[in-house]
Amino acid sequence: MRLATRKKIITAAVAVFALAVLAVELYPIAITLLNGFRRDIVILSGQKLSLKQFTGASYALVFENRQLMQAMRNSVVVGLLSTALSVGVGAMAAYGLTRFKFRGKNALAYSFLVFRMLPQMSLVVSLYLMFRTVGIRDTIFGITLAHSSFNVPYVIWMLIPFFTVVDKSYEEAAMVDGCSRWGMFRLIFLPLAAPGLVVAAVFAFINSWNEFLYALILTGVNARTAPVAISSLIGGDTLTWGQMCAASTVMLIPVFVFTIGMQKFLIRGVAAGGVKG
Amino acid sequence: MKLKRSVLLGALLAAAAFASAQQKVINVLLWDDPYPKALMAMLPEFEKATNIKVNIEMLQPPQVLTKTAVAVTPTSTDYDVVGIDEGNVPVFASLLLPFDQWPRGRVYPKTDPKSVTPKMLNIGTWNSVQLGIPINGNLYVWMTRKDLIENPTYKAQFKAKYGYDLGIPKTFKELLEMGTFFNENGIAAGFGPFNGGPAGVLSEAVFMWESHGTKFIDYTGGTFKVVLDEAKAIEGMEFYKKLMAISPKGAETMAHVERQAAFAADPKGVFSMFIWPAQIAAYEDPNKSLVAGKIAYSAPPAGPRGQAAITGAWAICIPKASKNPDAAAEFIYWWSSKAVADKLVQANTIPARTESLTNPAFVSSKPWLPALAASMNVAASRPRFKEIGQVQDVVKKYWIMGITGAMPTKDAVQAIVRETNDILKKAGY
Amino acid sequence: MTFSRRRATSPSGNVASKSGTGGYGSPVPFLIPAFLIVFAVLIFPIVFSFVVSLFDWPLSAGGGARRFVGAGNYVELVKDKEFWNSLRLQLGFIFIAIPIEIALGLGAALLLNREFRGGRVVRALILLPVFFLPIVSGMTWRFMLQPRYGALNNFLLSLGAPEITWLGDPTFAYAAVIVQDVWRMWPFVFMLLYAGLVGIPADILEAAEIDGATSTKRLTKIILPLLYPTILTALLLRIIDALRVFSEVYVMTEGGPGMATTLFSLYTHRQAFGYMKVGMSSAMAIFLLAISILFAVTLVRKNMSLEKLEEQGENR
Repeated sequence: MRLATRKKIITAAVAVFALAVLAVELYPIAITLLNGFRRDIVILSGQKLSLKQFTGASYALVFENRQLMQAMRNSVVVGLLSTALSVGVGAMAAYGLTRFKFRGKNALAYSFLVFRMLPQMSLVVSLYLMFRTVGIRDTIFGITLAHSSFNVPYVIWMLIPFFTVVDKSYEEAAMVDGCSRWGMFRLIFLPLAAPGLVVAAVFAFINSWNEFLYALILTGVNARTAPVAISSLIGGDTLTWGQMCAASTVMLIPVFVFTIGMQKFLIRGVAAGGVKG
Repeated sequence: MKLKRSVLLGALLAAAAFASAQQKVINVLLWDDPYPKALMAMLPEFEKATNIKVNIEMLQPPQVLTKTAVAVTPTSTDYDVVGIDEGNVPVFASLLLPFDQWPRGRVYPKTDPKSVTPKMLNIGTWNSVQLGIPINGNLYVWMTRKDLIENPTYKAQFKAKYGYDLGIPKTFKELLEMGTFFNENGIAAGFGPFNGGPAGVLSEAVFMWESHGTKFIDYTGGTFKVVLDEAKAIEGMEFYKKLMAISPKGAETMAHVERQAAFAADPKGVFSMFIWPAQIAAYEDPNKSLVAGKIAYSAPPAGPRGQAAITGAWAICIPKASKNPDAAAEFIYWWSSKAVADKLVQANTIPARTESLTNPAFVSSKPWLPALAASMNVAASRPRFKEIGQVQDVVKKYWIMGITGAMPTKDAVQAIVRETNDILKKAGY
Repeated sequence: MTFSRRRATSPSGNVASKSGTGGYGSPVPFLIPAFLIVFAVLIFPIVFSFVVSLFDWPLSAGGGARRFVGAGNYVELVKDKEFWNSLRLQLGFIFIAIPIEIALGLGAALLLNREFRGGRVVRALILLPVFFLPIVSGMTWRFMLQPRYGALNNFLLSLGAPEITWLGDPTFAYAAVIVQDVWRMWPFVFMLLYAGLVGIPADILEAAEIDGATSTKRLTKIILPLLYPTILTALLLRIIDALRVFSEVYVMTEGGPGMATTLFSLYTHRQAFGYMKVGMSSAMAIFLLAISILFAVTLVRKNMSLEKLEEQGENR
């Protein structure tokens, strides 16, 4: 009984804490969300919020902006493709690195890590030359590949801890049953590392979604992604504040949905339950 | 039935193939502001008349520079038409098709260089070769709040204190005194400085220096030299420091967006400051501005030893490597034609075409046009050479330290001269 | 078979650990795809970058001829005080921002690691800043800190802070850049650690609780050791990202005032795209690569070698 009351109090305290954290974290985002519904002049003159100011004009402009809408579609496609590619490939590599014994595996693992550290601006020029030669500049495939270049190492290192904790007895049992390496990977490791895969997918998606410099240099009118398109709303010279806020709010929706969907797989027990039998 | 369908399909495919063989596509890289946007709205007219499809990619100015640098080489280019801002013409000069080699247009006649505003024409030129058509008449124009200078109370108070009439500031002294008057009385901030990107800060510095009678860098004896007169340069910096004192809070980080917020969206606002005419459309838009229709335009006030309006225009060029110079030239001819220029003027933008800018039909409703003409008379350009990127960083760093008091102005000017000389020397001038 | 059953059947946790299955099958098919991608779009450009770093290489072909200068760019870098300044700023950024992010993320993960109504939504909402476009985040912070009309500025004023142009002051601008990063990225750490916590079988914790272990003890003796590899991963990934932080700082301060927020990454960008000196920026990248390798073979290897991680895993 006393334990139950204590638990209740703790849960309530946690809820209060969660709300406080949310308030701080979401404040700038709430401003952005609201300003998407206000006219530029209202935003900039620092007027107090009131219902009368609300207008859908900025959103209308954003939705009418064909280039921006195409860029958002491109962003979703590139994000999903690059996430799928890098999580698939990265999970295999993380498995290969953690569950095999071979010479130079540390060196290989570190090289994935170290190469990921280089700033994009020092790679983008050579990537551009390469893409132009191969003919994949300004294509969805090209920018997906470019995004995978930094996502694959990221996913590998994110998954390494999740793969290392899987107990060896599983593998041994599977080996006795005549299960192939590929089978072990698919039937044992992927389900057991599910939380890791989810997190890796979420962050691979974010990396691609937020990426700016590669998109700027490697794409043109066809494969341009949303960050590049939105940067022109931020404007060096004149201000389209309402549209920028509206566009960034619209940008938040797909990722939010993606994350909520992914979290289904993050609940305790699902991971372990997946390998029953 | 089946045969019929396949014949029909074949015919359609053939027609599509024919159409695509006929239709040329050109890629165009432009900076993002209301001017190219206004142009973009008119594109269907051009595409219909010429059967040329135009893909316009618009980016912020620094990004235009980056992409042009990467994408245009002697042998290949992703763009058939590029906008190059005046400071960077030297960098790209060797990659651009000289204007006299541009093919003749089939639908639109070749642009007559004489139709371009004379003061703007040379920004498309390098080593006396015309490389592109200057397309916008962008140079410093002065904005003053009409409602403030016409207010009878302020007029009387000002006259009582300073002994002359409140109005559009014609000299630096008037600017400072009127600005101080409004600032001291809490009516409005006196001035709106620009302390944003390095190219813009260099403009402000050159504006101050030219107005105080000294050039910064000159091309003499076949080489670039710093010709800045230390005493005059310090004087110019000191004056700007005084203007900073009557500027709104946060002046030390004010870039375009903050200036627009301060001048056009703050209920108090700013009394007087320069504007790039490319941005006028935003200041005159009631959705973005509290002062639309309340702005008086003029040429910049004169300094003690000169008057200057800094230019910042774009030239439209064709890379030598373009595979479609015909279509590219056609597009530019259309863009710089009188008909289009007239429409662009009506959209509150400023094409660099004299007859459109001085057309009496527009002048009455576009009060900035006469001001633009007055500014043209005192146009001055920033120095242009390949290493300008480094030089403007140096200027920005020490200029802002000087005008905010983080460093004595004398030291700041000396540092600018010293480090610019280092850069020039290293570059082999 | 679940974690709990595994616990019950093999209490020691590592049956025949050293022999294992490591020698069974070949790792090559698993590594090839990743290697191909990384080779094509990462290693090749790096090699190219190295070659470029030996040249005076203007970004634009119109900027003059490419000239082989050997180690010239490196010599110039070492002499450039802005270069060292940018490196110092970058390291400061990493050493200040990341520990705060890890602490916040760990704390929140521990607290929110329980089911309560709306938990999934709360956890997704906390993540929103990570999804916020960096350029928009930078712009929003720039405006929140604006004197007169900035919301955050007004809030600070009401707390009695002096009137300051936050982004115009070298120290405050640097602090603001860091605060912006902490605000945006600690939820990333939270999410990663939360996933790690979820992976710890509940029965271990429950068993400890029933054994009467105090909460502090449970934290230091059970949770933290089990979470150790994930914390290290979070640390590594954050360091990697912090080395590449760019667009948010660029729109927030453009590296200013003066050079006060010109981090290493911003300076690399300025060399390449402002001064159009790709050779110099490549030399900076290679320099960074050298530091990273040093860092990897010393710090990372000691704390995070794969064998060590495996031991960690086996000891569970």
